[in-house]
Amino acid sequence: MFKKILIANRGEIAVRIIRACKEWGISTVAVHSDVDKDSMHVRLADESICLGSHQPQNSYLNISALMSAVDVTGAEAIHPGYGFLSENAHFAEIVTNHGIKFIGPSADLIRKMGDKVEAKKIAKQYGLPVIEGSEDDVTSVAEAKKISDKIGYPVLIKAAGGGGGKGMKIVNKTQELEDLFLLAKLEAKKYFNNDKVYIEKYFLNPRHIEVQVLSGKNRTVHLNERDCSVQRRHQKLIEETPSPIISESVRSDLLTRTTQMVEKIGYEGAGTVEYIYENGKFYFLEMNTRVQVEHPVTEVATGIDIVKEQIYIANKGDTALTQEDVVARGHVIECRINAEDPSKNFQPSPGIIKTYHQPSGFRTRVDGAIFQGCKITPYYDSLICKLICQGRNRTEAIQRMLRALDEFVIEGITSTINLHKKILSHEKFISSDFDVNWLSKETFY
Amino acid sequence: MKINKKIIEELVQYLKEYNLSEIEYAEGSTKVKVSRSLSGSNILSNEVISSKSKVAESIDSSEKVTSPIVGTVYLAAEPGGKKFVEVDQKIKKGQTIMIVEAMKTMNHVPSTQDGVVSKILVKDGDPVEFGQPLISFK
Repeated sequence: MFKKILIANRGEIAVRIIRACKEWGISTVAVHSDVDKDSMHVRLADESICLGSHQPQNSYLNISALMSAVDVTGAEAIHPGYGFLSENAHFAEIVTNHGIKFIGPSADLIRKMGDKVEAKKIAKQYGLPVIEGSEDDVTSVAEAKKISDKIGYPVLIKAAGGGGGKGMKIVNKTQELEDLFLLAKLEAKKYFNNDKVYIEKYFLNPRHIEVQVLSGKNRTVHLNERDCSVQRRHQKLIEETPSPIISESVRSDLLTRTTQMVEKIGYEGAGTVEYIYENGKFYFLEMNTRVQVEHPVTEVATGIDIVKEQIYIANKGDTALTQEDVVARGHVIECRINAEDPSKNFQPSPGIIKTYHQPSGFRTRVDGAIFQGCKITPYYDSLICKLICQGRNRTEAIQRMLRALDEFVIEGITSTINLHKKILSHEKFISSDFDVNWLSKETFY
Repeated sequence: MKINKKIIEELVQYLKEYNLSEIEYAEGSTKVKVSRSLSGSNILSNEVISSKSKVAESIDSSEKVTSPIVGTVYLAAEPGGKKFVEVDQKIKKGQTIMIVEAMKTMNHVPSTQDGVVSKILVKDGDPVEFGQPLISFK
């Protein structure tokens, strides 16, 4: 096993990775920006190194500073977490070229999956259903019009190098196409330095369903699906497993085909294949080549520690898991606690946590990096912790989550705790009658 | 086991002297931990004092636009791009003067009045606090 791992991240995911390392008996190196010097991940790690100032490009995205930190501490591997450099192929390549193990797939696969046009081609080639649309990037207005007429409006123009909803344009009718197509290209160039765009059918009421995989050189296993359809501004807020809305036959087909695709491309480590689900059908959306925020949902349901498995696979090359080892139990829900004010259009709410009390009890897990007196700075993501509850069934999981949310006290900043209570008591959530656009249409405040 | 009061007394002394909340001391198999709670009101009052002194520093007669939010300030829409406002520029109420990024959200800061810019009080990429002056008018 590795002797020392450097965690190239911050916040709750850095703490999560440090915990996994400690349980494997691996020494940990935390890196941090100047404003994060007193944060939990720095306190829990065996060693820590300051990379630079508060701005991510000077610290958590600063590749040369990170490589120096590896050099100084003698770490053998880097765990990138999620966000920051986790899906940066260039970084994975540099790390690998320096004889350090990058905990994740090869730089080549990160690059291919990062290019949405390329990823879609791979998915199709290996038997996954893809969204109807252009096969390749679309270069002219005439071509865009031909494709859009064929698949029928509304259509969605997306940037090949994009993500996070940027550079996406919904076109409702043919008259709007030319302007929006040119604008999408312009924005793609500006945001991603790559003006490649492609066109897809736009789904009006989709659910977001994804499959967790763990893959070694020997085999690939899936850890079932997660339903992440409660979203705000294209970002997930609540995730659950199993999905309450898909049939057993659709589910088993999805899991089998996903596992086969991931195995065939020679994937290494933990990954998630994301899908759009509408009217009983699945369509490949993208593959995330890293651990995800919502991974605890799957961990609690299956009893498998995904982060420890990631480290094991990175070290051995193979996975010790077989598909038979994966047995999910009951229903699991995760609520993301963000430092933002849902009553003010999710306005960021940085500040000092004056009072903190976290829930506990039967099948109640909190993954976080916050504590009483800690400062939530405005420089990073608003996610401060996650609450995960398991029940024998969905009803009990909801009841337990509501009980735990009631125990949760965070004072000094505004968080999404109160919104979660409203969502979990809402009849639409209880009957699972919603799609990814639900939150933007519903009035909670 | 016999408790060595002297050690405890000595540790308590250190706690007070260095304003610590906890101290642990081990000798062989004996481990002594002394802790105390630093009261919440104490911490709070420190903060009030520091924010008061900040306000005092910033008092001067000229009109200013202050930051409505804590975050990182940007003077232009993109790195190396044209600045929203320059010194000596005539600006209107409601016009964007800067962007303050907080938790990956870009917040446009509008001018609160018409006027001519006298000084730009922050640098691109600076961290800014709530209520911190960003520009002043002539």
